[in-house]
Amino acid sequence: MKQSLAVVRIHLVSWRFIGIMPVAILALVLVLNLALFGSMGDIIPPDGRTTGGVLSIYITVAVGYLQAMTQSFPFALGLSVTRRAFYAGTALLVAIEAAAAGALLLGLKVVEQASGGWGLGIKFFAIAFLVVDNPLLQWLIYAVPFAALSAMAVFVGVVFKRWGQAGVYALTIALGVGLAGAVVLITLQDWWPAFGGWFAEQTPLALFAGYPLVLALLLGGAGWLAIRRAIP
Amino acid sequence: MSAANPVSLTGVSKRYREVAALDGVSIELAENTIHGLLGRNGAGKTTLMHILTGQAFETAGDVRVFGEHPYENAGVLRRVCFVKESQRYPDWFAVRHAFKAAALLYPGWDETFASHLVDDFDLPLDRRIKKLSRGQLSAVGVVIGLAAQAPLTIFDEPYLGLDAVARQLFYDRLLADYAERPRTVVLSTHLIDEVSDLIEHVVLLDRGRVLLDGDAETLRGDAVTVSGPSGVVTSFVSGHEVLHREDVGGMTRATVRGVTERPELGGLSFEPVSLQQLVVRTAQGRGDEGGRRRAATGGPVGAGNGNGGR
Repeated sequence: MKQSLAVVRIHLVSWRFIGIMPVAILALVLVLNLALFGSMGDIIPPDGRTTGGVLSIYITVAVGYLQAMTQSFPFALGLSVTRRAFYAGTALLVAIEAAAAGALLLGLKVVEQASGGWGLGIKFFAIAFLVVDNPLLQWLIYAVPFAALSAMAVFVGVVFKRWGQAGVYALTIALGVGLAGAVVLITLQDWWPAFGGWFAEQTPLALFAGYPLVLALLLGGAGWLAIRRAIP
Repeated sequence: MSAANPVSLTGVSKRYREVAALDGVSIELAENTIHGLLGRNGAGKTTLMHILTGQAFETAGDVRVFGEHPYENAGVLRRVCFVKESQRYPDWFAVRHAFKAAALLYPGWDETFASHLVDDFDLPLDRRIKKLSRGQLSAVGVVIGLAAQAPLTIFDEPYLGLDAVARQLFYDRLLADYAERPRTVVLSTHLIDEVSDLIEHVVLLDRGRVLLDGDAETLRGDAVTVSGPSGVVTSFVSGHEVLHREDVGGMTRATVRGVTERPELGGLSFEPVSLQQLVVRTAQGRGDEGGRRRAATGGPVGAGNGNGGR
């Protein structure tokens, strides 16, 4: 446990990386969007002023964890950290960062709504299909996808460390074949309406917190098993 | 041997498909001793050190570090510091980040000693490790290895890119600190002559096997180079292990092991054998025996790219 906490602190030794970087990218994307919509406000109708820019922070966080596996993992093992301690510490940091980033987005969503979409009617954080009334549930909707994407990145990193480039290729191909197979199956069976209907029935909480949490836990468990024989 | 030795290996092997990186290695590394782990590139030194630190897995045999298997063993690893030539640092780390991380991980970390060493090696604390020269990068490892004060400290070719002055600085600091705070040090190196005064115990690996394992002083005294008329030398060395032999125009020069007497007869002359010569001759002798790989004459053992054959 002590070593896992040390791993969390090692991740945070350089704030530039995990912490500052995703927030800086988000700020940059937000400013760019404000500038863009501000200059084209007369062209784009108010209900069209939704942007997916918030994705940038999710992606930056996830990429950070991929690098944590490819770079910090060999470093830490070289400094006598066990694989389990490194993984546990990284998982703990994923949870902390997801919680903090979720809170940040929640706060910015409140500001956005209070300011009439930054004075421009922009929906950067309060995207229609994400919005719920309960602040706690809203926080989960923002936070859990961080955990899920980070778990994916960590998992890919573990696969790379355990099975090398070939393992990542195999994973990518398996995923592609699986998805293509599912599409073919759904098409052949004429299940698309049912599939679409299922999606429409899900609450934002289930789509953005429930299923991602299951995914995060599954990948987290799989990574835990795979890292035991990983070579730094 | 006693179970109290910090490192105890019994019949340890590591196979990669057809190739045996380690083949039945059994060694004991005693406490509070400086051990030299010598051998050519690909001899298995790095593999051995990776297994000692639980970073690679043996395929057979028993590995004990402080009496336990090191794999995923936080209690053991906390007492081990392994400075490897190929140590990776995250791209975004500045030098001070690496030291901060080491301070968090090693219970015995000596901050004062570390900052003295940083001054000695003239390391720029705020520069990114990525941007350091090869020598500065090695110095970062050296500082971590010395300041960590780990009961078992392993240096894998820690001197790459360090100039002669910096290397001497490393040897001096290591020896001075070791005298003050004894611990078990394993020094894997090609530069045998440079460290021969430091090393108390020698393990020589060749193609995954242990060729020499013994007290450095004894090993040196055990071997001698004798020269003189061919006939006299031949009869003198018969029955002993001849490591190397050169014949030039009726004169012979032979390096032999296990000869204790130094008789004054028939124009024989004796010269002591340096550790480096002993290691080179032993490795060459074994190479010729196998008939598969002929060692380059006189070159330093394992001198090469320093990748340890990985």
